[in-house]
Amino acid sequence: MKNSESSLIGQSVRRTDAIDKVTGCAVFVDDIPFGPNLLHSRLVRSPHPHALIISIDTKEAEQLPGVRAIVTGKDLSARLGLYLIDRPIFAEKRVRYFGEPVAGVVATTEDIAVEAVKLVKIEYEVLPAVYDPVESAQPDAPLLHPDLGSYAVANFIFPEPGTNISEHFKIRKGDVEASWSDCEAIAEEQFRLPPIEHVPLETHTSIALSEKSGQITLWASSQSPFAMRDMIAQCLGISHSKLRVIAPLVGGGFGGKAGVTMEACAVVMAQAVEGRPVKLRLTREEEFVGTSVRQSLVSDIKVGCDKNGTLLGMELTYYFGGGAYNDYGVNIARAAGYSCTGPYNVPNVKADSLCVYTNHPVGSAMRGFGMPEIHWGLEQIMDQLAEQIGMDPVEFRLKNCVRTDDEIVSGMKMTPIDLETCIEKVSKAIRWGKVEKPTAPNKKRGKGIAIMWKAPAMPPNPGSSAVVIFNEDATVNVEIGGQELGQGAFTVAAQIAAEMLGVSYESVTVSYPLDTKYSPYEWQTVASRLTWSMGNAVKAAAGDARTQILETVADHWDEEIDDLTIKDGLVISFKSEREQPLDKMVIYGLPNEDFEGWKGGPVVGRGHFMPTYVTNLDPETGQGTRAVVHYTVGAQAVDLEVDMETGQLEVLNIASVYDVGRAINPDLIMTQIEGGAVHGMSSAFEELKFNESGEVLNSSFVDYRIATMADIPRKIHGDYVETPVDDGPWGARGVGEHVMVQTAPAIANALYDAVGIRFPDLPLSADKIFLALEEKFNRGK
Amino acid sequence: MVIHTISLIINGTEEQLQVPSNMTLLHVLRDKLGFTGTKNGCEAGECGACTVLVDGEPMNSCLVLAVELNGREITTVEGLAEDGKLTPLQQAFVDLNAVQCGYCTPGMLMSATALLRRNPHPSETDIQEALIGNLCRCTGYQRIIDAILKASRNGGTR
Amino acid sequence: MLARPGLPDFDYMKAESAQDVFRLLKERGDEVKLLMGGTDLFVQMRDRNESVGILLDLKHLPGIKDISYDKKKGINIGAAVTLNQLSAHPDVKDHFQILSQSADTIGNYQVRNRATLGGNICNASPSADMAPAALVLEGEVFLSGPDGERMMALDQFWEGPGKTALKEYEFLAAVHFPNPPSGAVGRYLKLGRSKMGDLAIVGVAVLGYPDSEVPAGIRFRIGINSTAPTVYRVPQVEEFLAQAPLSDDILRQAAGEAMKVSAPIEDVRATALYQKKMVNNLTFKGLKEVWNQLVIS
Repeated sequence: MKNSESSLIGQSVRRTDAIDKVTGCAVFVDDIPFGPNLLHSRLVRSPHPHALIISIDTKEAEQLPGVRAIVTGKDLSARLGLYLIDRPIFAEKRVRYFGEPVAGVVATTEDIAVEAVKLVKIEYEVLPAVYDPVESAQPDAPLLHPDLGSYAVANFIFPEPGTNISEHFKIRKGDVEASWSDCEAIAEEQFRLPPIEHVPLETHTSIALSEKSGQITLWASSQSPFAMRDMIAQCLGISHSKLRVIAPLVGGGFGGKAGVTMEACAVVMAQAVEGRPVKLRLTREEEFVGTSVRQSLVSDIKVGCDKNGTLLGMELTYYFGGGAYNDYGVNIARAAGYSCTGPYNVPNVKADSLCVYTNHPVGSAMRGFGMPEIHWGLEQIMDQLAEQIGMDPVEFRLKNCVRTDDEIVSGMKMTPIDLETCIEKVSKAIRWGKVEKPTAPNKKRGKGIAIMWKAPAMPPNPGSSAVVIFNEDATVNVEIGGQELGQGAFTVAAQIAAEMLGVSYESVTVSYPLDTKYSPYEWQTVASRLTWSMGNAVKAAAGDARTQILETVADHWDEEIDDLTIKDGLVISFKSEREQPLDKMVIYGLPNEDFEGWKGGPVVGRGHFMPTYVTNLDPETGQGTRAVVHYTVGAQAVDLEVDMETGQLEVLNIASVYDVGRAINPDLIMTQIEGGAVHGMSSAFEELKFNESGEVLNSSFVDYRIATMADIPRKIHGDYVETPVDDGPWGARGVGEHVMVQTAPAIANALYDAVGIRFPDLPLSADKIFLALEEKFNRGK
Repeated sequence: MVIHTISLIINGTEEQLQVPSNMTLLHVLRDKLGFTGTKNGCEAGECGACTVLVDGEPMNSCLVLAVELNGREITTVEGLAEDGKLTPLQQAFVDLNAVQCGYCTPGMLMSATALLRRNPHPSETDIQEALIGNLCRCTGYQRIIDAILKASRNGGTR
Repeated sequence: MLARPGLPDFDYMKAESAQDVFRLLKERGDEVKLLMGGTDLFVQMRDRNESVGILLDLKHLPGIKDISYDKKKGINIGAAVTLNQLSAHPDVKDHFQILSQSADTIGNYQVRNRATLGGNICNASPSADMAPAALVLEGEVFLSGPDGERMMALDQFWEGPGKTALKEYEFLAAVHFPNPPSGAVGRYLKLGRSKMGDLAIVGVAVLGYPDSEVPAGIRFRIGINSTAPTVYRVPQVEEFLAQAPLSDDILRQAAGEAMKVSAPIEDVRATALYQKKMVNNLTFKGLKEVWNQLVIS
């Protein structure tokens, strides 16, 4: 099908949801009105990071007027999980992080539930806790999951029962020991980063209703209603057909609303008060303390190159602090493992990527899924190595970065990308090589660059499906299971459908809220996969609908399908120049001559997509034919200043270029680039702080600070490159996560350029920077 | 618990209400009156998602008791567009893709609406100072600033 | 443990007169909490989840929202004046500009439409942003009680974190600032973790004015927050600065002395050493800026 000049692909059409959002009409879960029979709930949370539960006494709490039910983990032996089934809904015999839900109180008002929580008496036996993943990986560490060996686990995850190691991914490629002797320069460093939070503006909220008929309905702020349904149904032993998940618009996800977090608690509480809906809404403080986090990471990296700067060997260990439950985190360690080198050609690699239980909140998916964590160290150590060998950081990266068809660390051939052009474009945009004058005498200025890669980290068979149906007036409904988080998924789906059908963009509506009862299946809205995977499904469904229409009209006109097309809602014949409007015929079909019968009928287009070519990797070497579906790559460069008097950083410019395959909606890509750059920058300064008892110290916006309107760079130069992927719609891939993966190390590299100090640990607080400046420049003595 | 009878003028319409002492304007708007455009982001005056105008001045509705506002005029995001026509500011947000997840958007619009009324031609710094109490995690803010600048060039807002 | 959703239970009452306040405080004592803007109080109530019997709103007391300026005596600012009202008031901007400056650094615009000068002072946070300026302006508080009104210098009023010299049954009615000395220039420098909108990690207010009777020709007043149990002046440093002709070196020495006096504790926001160094750097910067401005004018 050829693209006409008025093709929607590549057009920055307006978002489908913008008007709802600016008028306050957009409905999020907390906005849904329930009647007077709505009950409210609050969770009783553990005050200890690691303890045995000796007893739970709910008697006094139950007697508070208005309390309708109190649930605990007592009668809930089943666990849930995505890749490793290790997580209880309510802690049963043991708590493993400060804030872990131990009981749930359901009451007629939220106030009563709050008071009842105070009356629940729990006796604990405190156990020694462990927070550092390296410490926790040692044989003498306190054991958090003695039953690790009995947990069901996906066949590509390798836990080590008897330890706190929930996943151990290995790369053994070439001969790294031998390669050191050929190296002219070797850099070795340990990098650390703490857990950080997603901080969506909308906190986690869900409402569950369990009816006497056995039907359960769960309304949730969810990126992935189907995964949510699957995990909870399996855990509770109910049929998928009996659990319905409804997911309205999401007020920010960033991975924190993928999988299941607090929603299963709402379901269990609803089951205790059959017939009445139960609402569970997290406060902002609970959002900081009790939802999933980005895992902490300790990376030990050693890397070497020859005298020409060609990378020869890399040896590394990643210790991911997976938190109390690693059901999702294990795949982060795995993804970090098979992408452990970063976007570089390194022929000899010895890598161990571990996910380790710690007494911290649950480590889970966060924008980048392991890539920001590992690039923090990788992109700095590459700069360190380049400096040792006397090469410019840009030159070093151009020399060593992966190119299409290169054999990468897991043994697969690199899928089509163009990282060099991304590097060249950012270098030009940031004026690499030009030393910029600081804007004030008390400031020092520097530039840094960092590159990245990421593949969608999914099971090998994650499916998308879509249905395209018409209304009588030929407006179109696109039914999908992929969620709108703000990234523009609905807009892109509408564009693709309109393009394939030959109708106007404005005539297409994407149906929402997502509803597992009606929406077609989508594995999850994660991994930046929707434009590619769901896009394929929508394209197929719209194409299927188009074929049905053309077949009916071709038959009606007695012409060949190939001579027909649809343009602006009209079927047109190139041959006869006849026209047939779509409206009415897409439902009622077309009458034969003299109304002797009819042809056609309601058009229902269906399509699906599932990659079929991902293979397993050898558990000992990490090698395999095809570890992932594809990679997306990009480069970022940062121009910043340090205030020598306060240690504060100001990022002046960020240049950001990504290879997106094909820009379906260019401006939406730019909005991801801009938002991602600021999110990435913010992540360099963020930190969840804990005291020695594992308690979160900064559970509010006052002390967990995210970028504000005054903190943004003066300019973000965003751009993209288009190297089509083999199996995406018009070659498109996703980019939603990639845009923030390497901002933190780019900042660290720029900081090094400015003041000559390397900071291997996040966050880059002004406090830390200032004291380091004092020491280096021997001031204040 | 004392129940007070109050009247609030919301988007031009007087509402008679019975409210407990401890109910904030945020909860009265959302739970008693169904004006769910105003969002609950932190209940601590930090994120601005709950921003409404009280007699034209932006306030965090999470930190005001409804009973304190007896007789006052409240404007929420639902009260901006008239007869289905978006204000120049709302239109600018739409045109410039200054909206992603949309959760911060109502608060941003209320703060910006008040800003343009008191300062019809703000600089970028003026905008930052006025909206420092409106957090956004998705957009990176620049589009929001640009939309406010665009609206100020198109004759501001009503 | 964690802050609760919404506010705990209480009865809201509006005080129409000072007598209402005294009567209720006498009758109900511990059950009564005084309400101004609520921006600190409501957050604390959520954090502590303590029920309060009566929340007594003082904002409707006669005169409590008034600002009145007298060319000879100075300015009286009612305790319920909001920070935005304070900052924008022409008499404040013209004659007590350092108060406007300080108010503008607090929180965000929405919060400043509710937060009050009286509330900020009575909250007695060691990092209160109005406090350094209030100290260098040598402000006094009007305290209203059943036995009448009394005045107290602000530097006596703050006794410790969250503690004031308010007696039983008393409330803060207004703050008085005498006119600063002729030709005075003031600056409030605040260091937060973000550019705007944060609490003070360290905040330094410097007021300088020409004084031909001292060798330096200029007298300085310095107020510092966040680095001691209460906000404080540094009289020995101020005296040091008055005694010799000014130079960058003298200013540096003075800043160093101020740093020595400061007694910050490490907390979730900053290390003690960093806070100390920032006292040094901000004091120097404040002194330099004020000195430059005085020299120009």
